[in-house]
Amino acid sequence: MLFTEAEVKELTSKILSMTKADDASANVGSNRQAHLRFAGNNVLTSGMRETRNANVTVWFGGKRGSASTNDLDDASLKAMVAEAEKIAQNARPDREYMPTLGKQTYKPVNAYIQATANLSLTDRAKQIGAIIAECEKSKVIGAGFHSAGAQAGGSATKNGNFEYERSTGVGLSVTARTPDGQSSGYFLRSHNDIARLDTMRIAKESIRKAIEGRGARAIDPGIYTVILEPQAVADLIGGFGFGFNARTAEEGRSVFSTSGGGTKLGEKVFDDKVTIFSDPWNPDLPGSQSAQGGIPAERITMINKGVLENLTYNRFWAAQKDRKPTPGPVNTIFQTSGPTNTLEEMIKSTQRGILVSRFWYIRTTDPRTASSTGLTRDGVWWIENGKIAYPLKNFRFNQSTVQMLGPGNVLMVGKPERVGSSEGGGGSLLPALKVKEFNFTSQSEAV
Amino acid sequence: MEFSRRDFLKTSAIAVGAAALPVWALDAQAAAAVWYDVNKDGLADAALATAKKLGASYADIRINRYRNENVSTRERQVLNVSSAQNFGFGVRVLINGTWGFAASPIMTTEEVVRITTEAAEIAKANSLITRKKIELVPTPKVVAKWKSSIERDPFDVPAEEKVAMLLKMNEAALGVKGISFVNSNLGAVNEQKYLATSDGSRIDQYIIRTNPSFSATATDRASGDFQAVNSLREAQQIGFEYMTKHDWVAEARTAAEHAVMKLKAPTVNPGKYDLVLHPSHLFLTIHESVGHPTELDRALLWEANYAGTSFLTPEKTGKLQFGSKMVNFVADRTQPQGMATVGYDDEGVPGQSWHLVKDGLFVDWQTTRDTAKLIGKSISYGCLHADSWGSVPFPRMPNVSLTPSKDNVSQDDLIGGIENGILIYGRGSYSIDQQRYNFQFGGQTFWEIKGGKVGGMLRDVAYQSRTTDFWGSLDGLGGQVTYEIPGSPNDGKGEPGQSNAVSHGCPPARFRNINILNTAAGSAPGQLD
Repeated sequence: MLFTEAEVKELTSKILSMTKADDASANVGSNRQAHLRFAGNNVLTSGMRETRNANVTVWFGGKRGSASTNDLDDASLKAMVAEAEKIAQNARPDREYMPTLGKQTYKPVNAYIQATANLSLTDRAKQIGAIIAECEKSKVIGAGFHSAGAQAGGSATKNGNFEYERSTGVGLSVTARTPDGQSSGYFLRSHNDIARLDTMRIAKESIRKAIEGRGARAIDPGIYTVILEPQAVADLIGGFGFGFNARTAEEGRSVFSTSGGGTKLGEKVFDDKVTIFSDPWNPDLPGSQSAQGGIPAERITMINKGVLENLTYNRFWAAQKDRKPTPGPVNTIFQTSGPTNTLEEMIKSTQRGILVSRFWYIRTTDPRTASSTGLTRDGVWWIENGKIAYPLKNFRFNQSTVQMLGPGNVLMVGKPERVGSSEGGGGSLLPALKVKEFNFTSQSEAV
Repeated sequence: MEFSRRDFLKTSAIAVGAAALPVWALDAQAAAAVWYDVNKDGLADAALATAKKLGASYADIRINRYRNENVSTRERQVLNVSSAQNFGFGVRVLINGTWGFAASPIMTTEEVVRITTEAAEIAKANSLITRKKIELVPTPKVVAKWKSSIERDPFDVPAEEKVAMLLKMNEAALGVKGISFVNSNLGAVNEQKYLATSDGSRIDQYIIRTNPSFSATATDRASGDFQAVNSLREAQQIGFEYMTKHDWVAEARTAAEHAVMKLKAPTVNPGKYDLVLHPSHLFLTIHESVGHPTELDRALLWEANYAGTSFLTPEKTGKLQFGSKMVNFVADRTQPQGMATVGYDDEGVPGQSWHLVKDGLFVDWQTTRDTAKLIGKSISYGCLHADSWGSVPFPRMPNVSLTPSKDNVSQDDLIGGIENGILIYGRGSYSIDQQRYNFQFGGQTFWEIKGGKVGGMLRDVAYQSRTTDFWGSLDGLGGQVTYEIPGSPNDGKGEPGQSNAVSHGCPPARFRNINILNTAAGSAPGQLD
């Protein structure tokens, strides 16, 4: 069902040959996703979905029209193109029109693993069966989600560009709850390669957290030193690499805007331990070979030792500002250029502090300062004199991400791990962090 | 719920490319022609016969077409006119007490047989590790058609008419001194759903939802400050008449004036206040603190790995005091303009109306055929829903609405009873824990109440409370004339994540002694809570 490169080439060429427009681009995509959901130590729902689609965008004198279909026979494709042309002829001029790209050269990424695409129903059932058995043996109630998928597609332009990409992804998250409902643990990992997903480790980590989280105590909210596991960091800033929009900043409505109408480009915005970049070819987190609507992706640093090094310019905004469009980001990697510390070292160095497994229901409260609220979930511990002393009940926080990562507030940084997405590919490479001050504002009795 | 970033980018790229199907000529496209040629009953016969042959005790097939149209503008330009559609079918089988599901966009008998076989293989593979078999409560066989009650189908309205309407709103907002940016959007959704079940039901439904929205942003470049105010009216199950029966231009102008005012408004002093919450705000508080905890699948731990469980449990039914005696919440799949209103759910159960909270007491749940069985119910309330032909149907929220006062109480009457309080309009930031105890909500505009009268605007306001304490503090409800039915098109839940459309009718309501915090960065934590 997944398109091969030859099929994508044939389909996109066919679509482009059908239009008389001044400019045009054609896209086709195919996807197969399979999942298994379990809860209450029992299988819940499980399914497989295949999709495919084609679409075309055409321009006549800068007037744009597009159309799409998920029926790919010649008659349907012809009708799709005719519709797009009809829309364009009736449209107002596209004021942000940029000519489609000419031939580009892409450096391929290795994001497709055949074994992931060939998911075996029997093997998956065995793995999930083993996890349910481990939960039963540990006297916890297990729930989780296994998702595996593959996608392939590409695009072509009237100006001569063509690209084809395919990728796979597999993810598993497991929640373990004690039968009295007083403790819960969670663990999530994902990868492109099913062989790299250690399903039993994911289960055992969530079970361990649930068991060790029994007997949680309530302490007063307030400002505390916190150690954030990579999952908690992912929850707070997993998509951070994608929040560097130049246009928004220059329009004065971004955390990276300055008074007087400028941006913070080149300024120190975070602690010097903070370096955030995108790298399409990172073997642990392969990104896409193309960025910003087709330009070849490159490794790009957004934050370098705390300094805002890049904002992202799309092709239109870059042309307005006489700059090159930004070749990314296509993924988020937080890797300090300084020394790293293990989670154990972070705990050992802490006199009084809080270890956080993950966060939940995070919503922005003030975009001017990237402030948000949310709650801890599935494992919080009190640290005293360099040791984990006891589990804590959950908190609500109100915290500015910019202040959290601000100069002087980042005390230690771990080695980045792939965390973030239970639905297959994607995710981020993020470290554990020890931060000096983090603002918990109320208690939550939720488990 | 979230897509992975990589998936998101890919999906976005496709979505952008898919933009702008012709609103005025949609039915002429080839894809639609294929759809109209589909022999749905014939495909259903093939699926159900195959499922039966492969050992299914129950099976259903949904053959659906979805149209999504969107017109978006900013300031004086059109950003996009888009209309996407897709269709396909999904087959669900129950074999050895285990669900299996598979879906495809290819509408042939051969493909239906292949996909049904794949669904059966999934069920059989997983049945080997099943601990407790799924059982369904019965539901009557239904052969019916149902259509949203609308006056003008938004898919019949030319895009130019929509564009002109949005640009007029933008112009009104831009006419307010201090406004720098305006975005406006008009979305429409059409679901054409066919369901056939092995119980003999065959149901066709045609659903329309309309979702206008806008946002006006005032910036102060000198100080680097910016403030936005969004539209207060929300999506409804209604036709294009929504755009002509309400003065959207006046609302856009007012929102712009309020955005400018917000730049200069004093920041709130944290502390305890009495609140009057307008329906444009209160509906989301109802959604999060009442709608979600009364979902039975959450109480059964089915959502433990993602959306969370509930502080309500089956043994609390009929015993737990949820709110004050004035509080009545009715779950309703029949409510006019309700986003979750349907003739039948995705397993053929008729739309119904029932109390979740009666006179302050928690009395009942949102159920499906499989969850109802687990608490000893004999029928389902019809809460099964999938957001696509390719998604597994699972328990989703009906409209959950707060019953207004029987008396003719106005919003001013509620305000009149307050010495020191805040009046809140619109949906802002919202966050609640995974068992639905602790929540924090912001809004769009906040107004001081002093001595029973509305005063000046405030900013940086959020309130934080605990669900049963909050509803227990309610001591005033507006009457029927103050009742509105705002809705949301994007309620996320489940794995893989699915979106649900839902409304929460309510009058304005008054709450006593609620904790207000200041969300501006730099506030000391002691002040925050």
